[in-house]
Amino acid sequence: MIDALFEGLFLVLQWKALAFMLLGIGLGFWVGLLPGLGGATTLALMLPFIYTMQPVEAFAFLLGMHAVVATTGDITSVLFGVPGEGTSAATILDGHAMAKKGEAGRALGAALASSLVGAIVGAFALALAIPVVRPLVLSFGSPELFMLAIVGIAFIASLSAQGARGMLRGFLAGGLGLLLATVGQDPQAGVARYTLGTLYLWQGLELIPVLVGIFAIPEIIDLVVRGTSIAGTRPSGRISKGAFEGVKDTFRHFGLTIRCSLIGTFIGIMPGMGGAVAQWMAYGHATQSARNAEERKGFGAGDVRGVLGPGAANNSKEGGSLIPTIAFGVPGSTAMAILLGAFFLLGMVPGPDMLSKHLPVTFSMVWTIVLANVITVLACFMFLNRLASLTTVRGQLLIPVILMLVFIGSYTSNNHYGDIVVTLLFGGVGYLMVLGGWPRAPFVLGLVLGKIAENYLYISVARYEAAWLTRPVVLVLIALAIAVIVYPLFQSRRRAAHA
Amino acid sequence: MPSKASLSLAVLIMLASGYGIVTAWSWPWKAALFPLVIGIPVFCLAAAEALWTLFGTRASEGQASDFQLSRHLPEKEMLRRTAIAIGWMLGFFAAIVLLGFPIALPLFVFLYLKLQGRESWTLSIVFTLVAWGIFYGLFDRLLHLPFPAGWLASWLGLA
Repeated sequence: MIDALFEGLFLVLQWKALAFMLLGIGLGFWVGLLPGLGGATTLALMLPFIYTMQPVEAFAFLLGMHAVVATTGDITSVLFGVPGEGTSAATILDGHAMAKKGEAGRALGAALASSLVGAIVGAFALALAIPVVRPLVLSFGSPELFMLAIVGIAFIASLSAQGARGMLRGFLAGGLGLLLATVGQDPQAGVARYTLGTLYLWQGLELIPVLVGIFAIPEIIDLVVRGTSIAGTRPSGRISKGAFEGVKDTFRHFGLTIRCSLIGTFIGIMPGMGGAVAQWMAYGHATQSARNAEERKGFGAGDVRGVLGPGAANNSKEGGSLIPTIAFGVPGSTAMAILLGAFFLLGMVPGPDMLSKHLPVTFSMVWTIVLANVITVLACFMFLNRLASLTTVRGQLLIPVILMLVFIGSYTSNNHYGDIVVTLLFGGVGYLMVLGGWPRAPFVLGLVLGKIAENYLYISVARYEAAWLTRPVVLVLIALAIAVIVYPLFQSRRRAAHA
Repeated sequence: MPSKASLSLAVLIMLASGYGIVTAWSWPWKAALFPLVIGIPVFCLAAAEALWTLFGTRASEGQASDFQLSRHLPEKEMLRRTAIAIGWMLGFFAAIVLLGFPIALPLFVFLYLKLQGRESWTLSIVFTLVAWGIFYGLFDRLLHLPFPAGWLASWLGLA
């Protein structure tokens, strides 16, 4: 275990992996800073480039990029009141209020330092969880793994939208993903399913063109519709002034920072909840730390604790959400669902192998999260003043570059024009989903898990017939899936009755 | 707009899952098991969503924890700009198919900057050259990705 921990560190520090991690950090740095280009979208855009990489290099690149997006996203939130990422929206409440009071440097210092603490807590949780989940994972067979996939979709479908209507749409999106995963030649009977008479669809829908379309196209359309420069006017003066005060604030309220990091980690572990939920729960907890009504009034008007809470939580959730992704193949968020796609592209299967044969690779992910955040926070402090000017890049300069990446990225999946058609079609579906208020995460999860779920279901039925449904762990998982569906409905009814 | 989008999606999913169920019925059970287990509930859920959209109240709409589109413009203007965005994307795709990536890419970048972005000639030309340089240097020379000539070149016998 200890050997694997250090082997993981050495793997990340090899020059090639380190170079890819630095490249990823550079990309994630920009993506987090720029509103309109999400971390999950960029992760999807970068998937085509990992084909020729070794697993450690690919994960150093992708995780290095993803781990820093929330950190730099806080910068845009504080400076412009525009969330650089969906996961950094809560930072606006007090961070931007502080910036308006002339305390932008202090707010940024607090956001960056708490992000670093959060990332380290999340990575620790991941490292500590490995020996705990290992025996559990090794005892799971095909029936249990099939039910886990179903529980994962139930979680993400019921929690990624509000109320009964949101849940219906979540399940519909997840079901559509599962159904589309059946396109292509069936591995058991050799039947060509839903290929529409084309050779292109025989190997199924390629993940990258679908993901690129469903995530990037709606955001590009929105960027064109907005037609403005990204962040508006730049605040004047040197913002680095007071940054050190913000760092001191993190240690002044260290207990709160750690508690919010743990909240983020826990929410990260729960499939379907994601960073958007984590930051608000942490913000809610931070407001609870007010000792009296007078202090509570300060929240929303520039209390540094309102920056520390979300800053820590939206970074610690990364380590947390990697736990179910690596151990069970059940991604905790949209980004993790895309990362799960990377596992398959690299020929690796999440689950027992990641906790035994590939344990050093798993630990290399822990180290990547820690190192990427340390490097990013140091870089941010060094270039704090110049960072502000980066957010003023005009949308019309950004759009052709993103579209170039979208089209090249999807085309290189099969070197076939069909890939671009798939991207455009699913771009349309993604746009309708966003417009209609449908969650996209369950769809991605369904598509990613579809083939595995079908395989596990087939093995379970062929091996145990209907008796697989009576296995104890399967029964527990069925109960869990039902509870996941029923509880939010029960809770919203109770809230409605109280109102 | 959101309810129209929701209804369109629900109807599209009903059609797709309906086609999926009917087609799967004639397959051997090994191939049909999963599509039927998933397809039938998906069809029912899509029908429920369509009915909810048609006859439900607005208050019952559940918002997703996901990226939200900007809604600061009048609906007509939003539709016009959305159509422009889609037009550029389809135009870029048509250019790629007809001319191939090496020509379509700089052409698209330059035209977008000049016509849509209304940028200066100098910036448009320099930006286009940089974009083409990245494409050629990274994807062609370094990664050796195959980018075939467009259909037009094939029709004219140039490829």
